[in-house]
Amino acid sequence: MDFSNSMLKNVAWTPRPSENQLESDGRGVHPTVFQHAAKQQRAGLLLCGLMCLGATTSTIAAEPLRLTHDGRQKSSPVFRDEGRELVYVDFADPTLFQLRRLVLADGTTELLHPKSTSAEFEPAWSADGENYAHLKLRGVLSISIVVRDKQGVTLSEILPAGGFNGYRSPALSPDHSCLAFACAERGTQQIYSSKLNGEDRKQLTESTGVSNWPSYSPDGRSIVFGSSRDGNFEIYRMNSDGSDVRRLTDNPFQDIRPRFSPDGLRIAFTSHRDGNAEIYVMNADGSALQRITENADRDDYAEWHPDGKRLVLVSEREGQHDLYLLSLPR
Amino acid sequence: MLDVGSFRAGTCGGFSRRSFLRLAGSVPLALGLPGGVARASQPVKARSVIFVFLWGAPSHLDTCDPKPDAPAEYRGPFGVIPTRTPGVMFTELLPRIASRSDRFSLIRTHATTAPGHPDGGTVALTGFPELPAPVQPNFGSIIAKARGNQGALPPFFSITSGMLADSSRRIEGYGGGVLSQAHDPFLVGCNQAGEVKLSALQLLDELNPLRVQDRRQLLAQLDTAARRAEQEGQRAWSRNMKSGYDLLLDPAARQAFDLTRETPATRARYGYTTFGQSSLLARRMVEAGVPYVQLNYSRHPEALNSGFELGWDTHIYNFELLQDQHCPTLDRAFSALLDDLYDRGLIDNTLVVMMGEFGRTPKITPNAARDHWPPCYFSIWAGGGVQPGRVIGTSDKLGEFPLGDVVSPLMVGTTIAHLAGLDTQARAEMNVLAGGKVIDGLL
Repeated sequence: MDFSNSMLKNVAWTPRPSENQLESDGRGVHPTVFQHAAKQQRAGLLLCGLMCLGATTSTIAAEPLRLTHDGRQKSSPVFRDEGRELVYVDFADPTLFQLRRLVLADGTTELLHPKSTSAEFEPAWSADGENYAHLKLRGVLSISIVVRDKQGVTLSEILPAGGFNGYRSPALSPDHSCLAFACAERGTQQIYSSKLNGEDRKQLTESTGVSNWPSYSPDGRSIVFGSSRDGNFEIYRMNSDGSDVRRLTDNPFQDIRPRFSPDGLRIAFTSHRDGNAEIYVMNADGSALQRITENADRDDYAEWHPDGKRLVLVSEREGQHDLYLLSLPR
Repeated sequence: MLDVGSFRAGTCGGFSRRSFLRLAGSVPLALGLPGGVARASQPVKARSVIFVFLWGAPSHLDTCDPKPDAPAEYRGPFGVIPTRTPGVMFTELLPRIASRSDRFSLIRTHATTAPGHPDGGTVALTGFPELPAPVQPNFGSIIAKARGNQGALPPFFSITSGMLADSSRRIEGYGGGVLSQAHDPFLVGCNQAGEVKLSALQLLDELNPLRVQDRRQLLAQLDTAARRAEQEGQRAWSRNMKSGYDLLLDPAARQAFDLTRETPATRARYGYTTFGQSSLLARRMVEAGVPYVQLNYSRHPEALNSGFELGWDTHIYNFELLQDQHCPTLDRAFSALLDDLYDRGLIDNTLVVMMGEFGRTPKITPNAARDHWPPCYFSIWAGGGVQPGRVIGTSDKLGEFPLGDVVSPLMVGTTIAHLAGLDTQARAEMNVLAGGKVIDGLL
């Protein structure tokens, strides 16, 4: 297709290098972001306060800062380079979704793998930044895991079984010694781990239903994940060898995409329990559940900033999908 | 923005023969037809039809026919929510559509005969399998032939980035079939930014309709080229060249494609996705009087294939794609479309039908997904003479088979034609939809 991008250009975030740049570790973002947030606040869009919804404390964070302005569909943002950059999936071309890198200090973006001719999605970084992994579309309904070093050099590609087959949700252990991922076999979908080259594969879960979205604790000893084993998607935690599985949430609607905080004390996830997708945070044992966002549209794909005080998420507002940075309530 | 595309084969002396033929070959012959050849024979309840084609086939259990009490290997991971229709539940993936169920009726007892995409798509769009030949006409082609041009706009549009096809071949039921190419749809693309592209009218690099208006001499060039083509046996193409230009030169016709004329709030309601903005384009076409719009969710059915959009054919990643991509997009756009048609007073005269070509396996596959399932699937009907809030039939406790009377694709087409004003005699005179019955429960 040959769509010109006039509309997108009109709303594109144009960096202004002459302005003072804030701290480049992600604690600061480009001034235009703050200007935008201030405008939103002036418009009376600031949402904050406490709402009690049953056993859930609803502590709505201050209006998040909009990091992208193109409005295109996007997903799966992850921080890298100690929070100075984000990588996310950009659906600019619906036939070739790609990984895009955003520099928070100046708002510039570029494709992470500009020469790639395959769709790439679900990126994951090791906590030490040494390695990353992502999914790669190899052809008709065939999806592999690609593991790379921090320079982007491919270290391994873990191929799916033949036919319609593929992996889901790669996650790297903090010491980048192994990989967790989801894979479907025999009618269920389980969590597995392996070395970065795919060897020494171990099945960590054995249950009915669909298990997905593994996330390592910072000490590498635990994995939090989502599973429908008890009827619908809930959040579970287990030791990284698959032992001692504990259920952390219980409600009739989806709880998905859990992510351990950098200190390992909390878990952020997406829940539909209040009518649409919102971000929630709870303690790592499932206690002290807090609703963090309240948006008439979808808030999803939460990922922790390395400082543990903020989350990036994909938020749909006014029909547009953009990345937002949200400071957690104290 | 309206983009008539880029055309790279022109020569300094005008159009090369190759480039002209490419242009002419892509313009449907229906452009040149005057009023319909078979007039409506009964009151027209649906002056326009929007057929929302969920190409690739959505899972009925994971959307509009959930089975929360079925065993785990059937029911899937999603919760259910009530609708405004007593006793009807949808999955939690479609909250906006569920909250508007009093504005549409639901059929849960569809069954079809074709298990694969190209043939299944043809059956869904024509009511008949591809073989034995000849291929029967798309429902839209029947309406187009009956109603003819309504102003400068062709009577049958298909909103898509290209000819519908799977990875192996095109879908034969895309157009006029036995009624001839004269009744093929006019293809129009729309991207997530709402930029519209008429690929069938690709002319010159950077050419846009405003420039066309200033370049009527192009018509003379094309007339010359058309005469040459006729001499070379391309009569069918050349007689429609002027009609193609009529579309470009008519300001009102052009405005139908200009989504920037909508308020930001309206565009936001539909969502800035390809399907969202395409749905808004469909509404604008209805407003401009187009009799039939086929609104395709994707050009290809495959859910994940290199170079393809995301279709509904979820042999893997069924649950992930439905919750992450397809259902949020569909829920927003389709509910906005319904609201918009109601708010503008268009719904009474506009029939909206939404469905795929079949269902998906109620029993979850080894890939933790769902494969093709022709024996049972669903559709949604709104406006245009359909009574809202009804439920036609039910499926069994596992969602495997309809209980009671089956609703076939032929009945879908027959009901669309009936509401568009074609009674049994009119259909017989056109020699279309033979043996089809109207779905009485909708009326």
